[in-house]
Amino acid sequence: MAGLPLEVRNLTVTGSQARILVRADVLSIAPGEAIGIRGPSGAGKSTLLYALAGLHPTACGGIRWGGADLVALGEGERTRFRREHVGMVFQDFLLFEELTAAGNAGLAAAFGSKREVASIRDRAGAVLERLGIREARRNVDSFSGGERQRVAIARALANDPSIILADEPTASLDRETADRMISDLLDLARSGGKTLIAVSHDRALLDRMDRCIDVIDGCLREGAGIA
Amino acid sequence: MVQDSLVLITLLAPAVLVGGVVTSGYRPFALVGSLLWRYRWTNLVFIALIAVSVGLGVGLTAQERGLRQGTARAADKFDLIVSAPGSEITMLFAAVYLQPSDVPLLDGATYDEISSNETVGLAAPIAYGDSFDSFPVIGTTPQFVEHLSGSLAEGHMFTRVGEAVVGAAVELPLAAHFIPAHGSGEEAEHEAHAGAETAIVGRMTPTGSPWDKAILVPVEAVWEVHGLANGHAPERELQIGPPFDPAYFPGTPAVMVHADALWANYALKSEFTTDKTMAFFPGAVLSRLHGLMGDVRQIMSLMAVVTQVLVTAGVLTGLVVLTRLFSRRLALLRAIGAPGRFVFAVVWSYAATLIAGGALIGLGAGYVATGIISREISRRTDILVQSGLAWPEYHLIAGFVSLTLLLALVPAFLALNRPVIPDLRS
Repeated sequence: MAGLPLEVRNLTVTGSQARILVRADVLSIAPGEAIGIRGPSGAGKSTLLYALAGLHPTACGGIRWGGADLVALGEGERTRFRREHVGMVFQDFLLFEELTAAGNAGLAAAFGSKREVASIRDRAGAVLERLGIREARRNVDSFSGGERQRVAIARALANDPSIILADEPTASLDRETADRMISDLLDLARSGGKTLIAVSHDRALLDRMDRCIDVIDGCLREGAGIA
Repeated sequence: MVQDSLVLITLLAPAVLVGGVVTSGYRPFALVGSLLWRYRWTNLVFIALIAVSVGLGVGLTAQERGLRQGTARAADKFDLIVSAPGSEITMLFAAVYLQPSDVPLLDGATYDEISSNETVGLAAPIAYGDSFDSFPVIGTTPQFVEHLSGSLAEGHMFTRVGEAVVGAAVELPLAAHFIPAHGSGEEAEHEAHAGAETAIVGRMTPTGSPWDKAILVPVEAVWEVHGLANGHAPERELQIGPPFDPAYFPGTPAVMVHADALWANYALKSEFTTDKTMAFFPGAVLSRLHGLMGDVRQIMSLMAVVTQVLVTAGVLTGLVVLTRLFSRRLALLRAIGAPGRFVFAVVWSYAATLIAGGALIGLGAGYVATGIISREISRRTDILVQSGLAWPEYHLIAGFVSLTLLLALVPAFLALNRPVIPDLRS
């Protein structure tokens, strides 16, 4: 599925006691762009990412992916939006250790509609193969860090999302593995025209994004060049 | 059976319905399996707790029923007992369960009145008081032995004083000889009846009662060995069994009476309930005893159910804590777009598997434990107790499973209301 454009207007995400965690006055991302979000630890980068995924219940303002304003949608509708349009990659993979690589990658088949089950599993298998995971029927608890992250990427792409959101995807990997993962992720995103937003401290990843956004003390500086 | 099946289905219906509604349209089972395996040792503890509580409840009801049926089966052959007035329970224990006690004797005139009643098919004196080893020696008639055992398992009926037929569990072979002791237990006088050597000539078929460990001799032998008349006039002194001559009838603690027609037993009971005699149906007395046990059983069953519910409440509380162990994975599911009902289905199915698994294992454990306890009770009481699982146990478990599966909705609701982002980042 081709990428969706993102328009953020007057976004505020608050935490406990109405403390503002992140504020974004304006943020625009074209469909198919690859955006890096960077900033010091605790600045609100991941908070912004999760808000863009519709996971923050306290987000207010406007987060418009294509025609869908996530802030205006109810909880069930946001969940459905993520199921249909968003693939997420996490820092420490978040796999089910006792499932196989195919089981993890095709996880969405467990709650997809009957007609989607086969296509999800097929797509998961195809991405696993493209990423070099040959033993798809092996439990992931015996996989290396790089292999696990590739399974996680396959899971993120199994439902053919138009948006990929990655939270520190290389943080748990060694340099060589991280470089390979960056290439795989960008290849898959760009070849599918998917919009990619990645939170990262990894210079190697940020250097390869189309542009970067800085988050400092919860405030966005949109359009900042790559430092 | 149809009614019991319907009750079982009705009890299970809520659980099945909830399971169907919660999981319909989804395929959570591989995921649930992976979580169950990941926390398998903790899960085993929960399953064991549930199994123990279920096993206790099941074992209690099954054992009580086995004991009740066993005691009733032991008394099955004893239609009506006539004895001197006193305690029906004492005579029941003495005449049916061979727990003898000192009671007045019925005289020859009374026995003659009973045996000559036209509706009486069998009137057998039951004379106890002697023993050999741990086996009670009971004086009675060949007709009573036939009534109790049917055909003998081996050998032949006693035909004279000096012969005996033993119960199925008496550890003496045919042709063995013994001399009965006066009394029983530690106070038995082994030399009191020296010279009354008796040969074993037959063995009864199993009766499932203390009579399996009894040695039956002609009642004439019991009277003779105590220096009394042997029940027959001198010209018939070698006769074994009825008719007895009232003038030579020394007395008997009890007479077992059998009438072919059921109505006749009631008439006989009424006729021989006088100021000189007491007549009772052992079955009726046993029912009253069982009724008392039944009240106690109901209280204990209620306690067993309460225990099960408390254990389950504890397990469910533990499950709420346990779901925190995989809260991050549940948050992941919600983050990647799993519907709330799917996450609910995962947690509920996880709990349901533990509950159902524990209940099944408890059922098996209760069955095994009941068998072991029954064998031990049979060994100690000589009453054949055969406890097995039946509809009451299946209903108990079905109700328990259904109730706890409904309660398992609680941890599922609580898991669904957890905040996603803190769990994702924990």
